[in-house]
Amino acid sequence: MSEFQKVATVAELPPGGRKSLVIDDRAILVFRIGDDFYAVEDVCSHDGQPLTDGELLGMEIECPRHGARFDVRTGKPMCMPAVEPIATFTVEVREGDIYLGPEA
Amino acid sequence: MSISAASSASSSRLPAGFGSASFEAFLESRSEPGWVTDQRRAAFALYQEKLGTPLNPEEWKRVDLRTFQPNRFSLTTAGTAPAQFETLLQDRAQFAGAVSEVDGRAVSVKLDENLVRQGVLFGNLSDLVHDHREILEPHLMTRAVRPDRDRFAAWHAAFWTGGTVLYVPKNVTVEGPLYSLIGLSEPDAADFSHTLVILEEGASSTLLEETGSATTENAGLHVGAVELLVGDGARLQYVQLQNWNQKVWHLAHQTGLVGRDASLQWTVAGIGAHLAHIHQQVTLEGRGSTAEVNGVTFATDRQVLSYYTQQTHQAEHTRSDLLYKDVLRDRARVIWRGMIRVDKDAQQTDGYQRNDSLLLSPTCRADSIPGLEIEADEVRCTHGATAGRVDEEQIFYCMCRGLSRYEAMHMIVEGFFHGVYDRIAVEAVRDTLSQAVIRKLGFE
Repeated sequence: MSEFQKVATVAELPPGGRKSLVIDDRAILVFRIGDDFYAVEDVCSHDGQPLTDGELLGMEIECPRHGARFDVRTGKPMCMPAVEPIATFTVEVREGDIYLGPEA
Repeated sequence: MSISAASSASSSRLPAGFGSASFEAFLESRSEPGWVTDQRRAAFALYQEKLGTPLNPEEWKRVDLRTFQPNRFSLTTAGTAPAQFETLLQDRAQFAGAVSEVDGRAVSVKLDENLVRQGVLFGNLSDLVHDHREILEPHLMTRAVRPDRDRFAAWHAAFWTGGTVLYVPKNVTVEGPLYSLIGLSEPDAADFSHTLVILEEGASSTLLEETGSATTENAGLHVGAVELLVGDGARLQYVQLQNWNQKVWHLAHQTGLVGRDASLQWTVAGIGAHLAHIHQQVTLEGRGSTAEVNGVTFATDRQVLSYYTQQTHQAEHTRSDLLYKDVLRDRARVIWRGMIRVDKDAQQTDGYQRNDSLLLSPTCRADSIPGLEIEADEVRCTHGATAGRVDEEQIFYCMCRGLSRYEAMHMIVEGFFHGVYDRIAVEAVRDTLSQAVIRKLGFE
């Protein structure tokens, strides 16, 4: 993922919306929070399984299994049982389209 | 040494994917005896049914298949692309026989004349089904890896492309190891090779099998099965060295059945693959049988190597001993889920399993989950697992003696694996593994 690529349109994602992607053999989750877009690797650093359906609490995604939370802006773990961060990706909006860039 | 496959102008590919159209085109391309086609059709129906059934979560929940896109891969039917394989094992020993298969098609078969005269069969499954139905039909996916096990077993049973068959008649000893190479060459090619080893009563043999890629960039798919049928009093040593490039998906069912007073020594080495999942089962069927299972795994970058092992004791006085050692680096992940199962009648059994993981960087991850399920009341079953980082004190000690940090690391990794190497009787295999580890550490 060295270059930006188009992954969705702004219209596809209402505020609070999300989209799962598979890019270069990695599972990625893109969010819209208000008018901002964020992308994280869709794998909980605690148990190695998907975060896909986890609840969004403010700027944090909660793992649906054990309740670990990660800041979607930085990937930082916010509570136990996660202690390691998850990867985040740069997102840009260009003329109504959402582009995913390199790992932040 | 490298082997080169015979070349012809081009190769034909079936439509990508594994739906009905691909299946019919695949059958069309094969011209096989009726019993084989019937088996395939039954398996394909089962495969389609199993696709709608969830996988066993105990086996699969730690393996992420979201990025797996089977429909990008396709089977080849004719022609052989020129392919050079950097094999690790091939020039390390004198072999009594050798077979190779590339992109699911047989390339070459060689077997010592003396063994042919003694009734030993060694060749490609695609060829042997035509003339050896009496030997193959009772064993091919009927006893060890049955198509109804899960979707991958059914998928393999419907689409198997060939693979190595070794049949050793009663009381025949094959001196010297046999060699088999499974290769992937073209972009997005699929290999569904099947390894079937049948040792009759009192027979003895050693088979070294290696998988490899012709390029470092071509992605590939291997959906395989290994069946090791070790008859009463027979002795088998089987090694599979998985050395695909890091773009290959490797999914396999591997099962060994061990008869009365028979022994199986089985070594599984995992070096390559993007994602590998092996369901390995050893069943001690006959009284007094023994099995030793060795695992050597070295995962780097973003590799995911997963093992689901089962040691099943069905008879009295049986012994199983499993030792898996894995080394991880970068963002690699190794998953080992092991189970010893002892049936009610399998008294006086001795079962052991152990998994050791050595983590070379803070970002890799090892999941190690041993388990016991025991229904008999007079047994000895033990297990253990360890995981740890390289001890900085050890590195410091080595560096005080003039070694570089890299050399020190190599020494420690090599020493860690030695616990498994010492159990492997074939010298060529020990040397090969040691060489593969050095390469993977990043220096020749």
